[in-house]
Amino acid sequence: MSKITGLLLPILRKEQKKKGYISESALKKISKKTKIPISRVYGVATFYSMLHTKKQGKNIIYVCDSISCHINGSENIVNYLEVRLKTNKRFSLHKTSCIGCCDEAPAMLLNGKAYTKLTREKIDGILKKCKY
Amino acid sequence: MQILKKTELKAFEKAKKLGPLNVIKILKEKGLVGRGGAAFPAGIKWEFALNAKADEKFVICNADEGEPGTFKDKFIIKNNPETLIEGILIAAYTIKAKQAFVYLRGEYEYLAGNLKKAISKVLKKAKCNVKIDIIVGAGAYICGEETATIESIEGFRGQPYVKPPFPPAEGLFGKPTIINNVETLANVPQAVLFDDWDKDLRLYSLSGNITKPGVYELTVGYKLSELVKLAKPKNNVKAIYFGCSGGCMPYSDIELTLENVCGKNCAIGAFSIIIVDEKQSIVNIAELISKFYEHESCGKCTPCREGTKRIHDLIKKIKSGKANREDMNTLIDLAENIHKTSLCGLGQTSTTHLLTALRYFKDEFEEKLR
Repeated sequence: MSKITGLLLPILRKEQKKKGYISESALKKISKKTKIPISRVYGVATFYSMLHTKKQGKNIIYVCDSISCHINGSENIVNYLEVRLKTNKRFSLHKTSCIGCCDEAPAMLLNGKAYTKLTREKIDGILKKCKY
Repeated sequence: MQILKKTELKAFEKAKKLGPLNVIKILKEKGLVGRGGAAFPAGIKWEFALNAKADEKFVICNADEGEPGTFKDKFIIKNNPETLIEGILIAAYTIKAKQAFVYLRGEYEYLAGNLKKAISKVLKKAKCNVKIDIIVGAGAYICGEETATIESIEGFRGQPYVKPPFPPAEGLFGKPTIINNVETLANVPQAVLFDDWDKDLRLYSLSGNITKPGVYELTVGYKLSELVKLAKPKNNVKAIYFGCSGGCMPYSDIELTLENVCGKNCAIGAFSIIIVDEKQSIVNIAELISKFYEHESCGKCTPCREGTKRIHDLIKKIKSGKANREDMNTLIDLAENIHKTSLCGLGQTSTTHLLTALRYFKDEFEEKLR
């Protein structure tokens, strides 16, 4: 049988994907189901930058803030996104470590998909197409 | 490109005919070393795992490529997943493992679908009973460290532990485990199958202030000046960063061998080359990288957890023009101590960028002092 069933990280990821975050009640449920103490479940859920225990917007953005993106203007991208999304509760904006798109900098992840060579115009287009 | 050559399971068939001992012999003779940065000989690692006695063994493909400026494993997963999977199968066959995992970083989740399809296709064609599961990470640089990878898959916080035991003796779920990086495993079938396989061909990830970034397959020892020519920089080149952990050096024409880069107090690691031009401030970059380490420190050992934060605070202070010479001395002291006393490679290399920046670009820091 596969070892994968019952592993905590995939379970947490699934919940994160389904609800956009891992609520306290979800943590409790997962703890009960896996028989892993809630302290450990919480510890793991809060260890990773892409798992959230606080409610997120329907769209989660991670803008790369590592060296190659930074020296190619990621700060402007972050500033622009901050202005555009300031009061928009449907979006959660995070700065993140390298996402491996350094050859197409600046880049970001939106709902798990990579968007690269970002400009203000490109961002306008991407945000317009967002489902939620 | 050598890395894109298809082996169509011929290497797997050849490996089965040769037997585990001969596969290991080939890897040793041909000189395949780990491509994740540490350059440990793959054959020796596999031999340890083969010789370890256990009822169950595992193979982990480390696809947690988190070093800033590195994207060559993504290139392989996108462009030649079949050969990578064949490498995993050869590893499993050699050490007699029935289960393998691909630990794919959370940021690459969008690659998981196609990779899964490729796994099913190859497994079906190979008619072998090895299982390969993809575990998608969730955004933690440290999980590329092999013991942290193990902890993460097991469902704990991805924090490294003190070795020994080394994974080939006691790894995932306490069982002998080989953990190899994507590029290493993708080279295995080619090393096994092709007589003309060249151990010195590497994937260089080129990025920074350049117009031709990307993955380049070039030989170890390629001239930096030639590399920069390929990269077509926008302005005059000031510095070269070897990812974040490998440190920086002023642009000069050296041949990029492990020894030469080491001679500059840097480490070439996974051949990530970030080209920085004269318009950039080294102090700003130092602040950025120290922020990265503060965020990515796993929090387990004190020098790294506390030290990366203090380093970041001090560099912020220097950047803002409020620091004095004593702060500079504290910074250097701290950087050296974190390097010497941290538990794992993350902490130990977290200040290389700073120590090398202070060695080669000290003026930029001193200009900012009060």
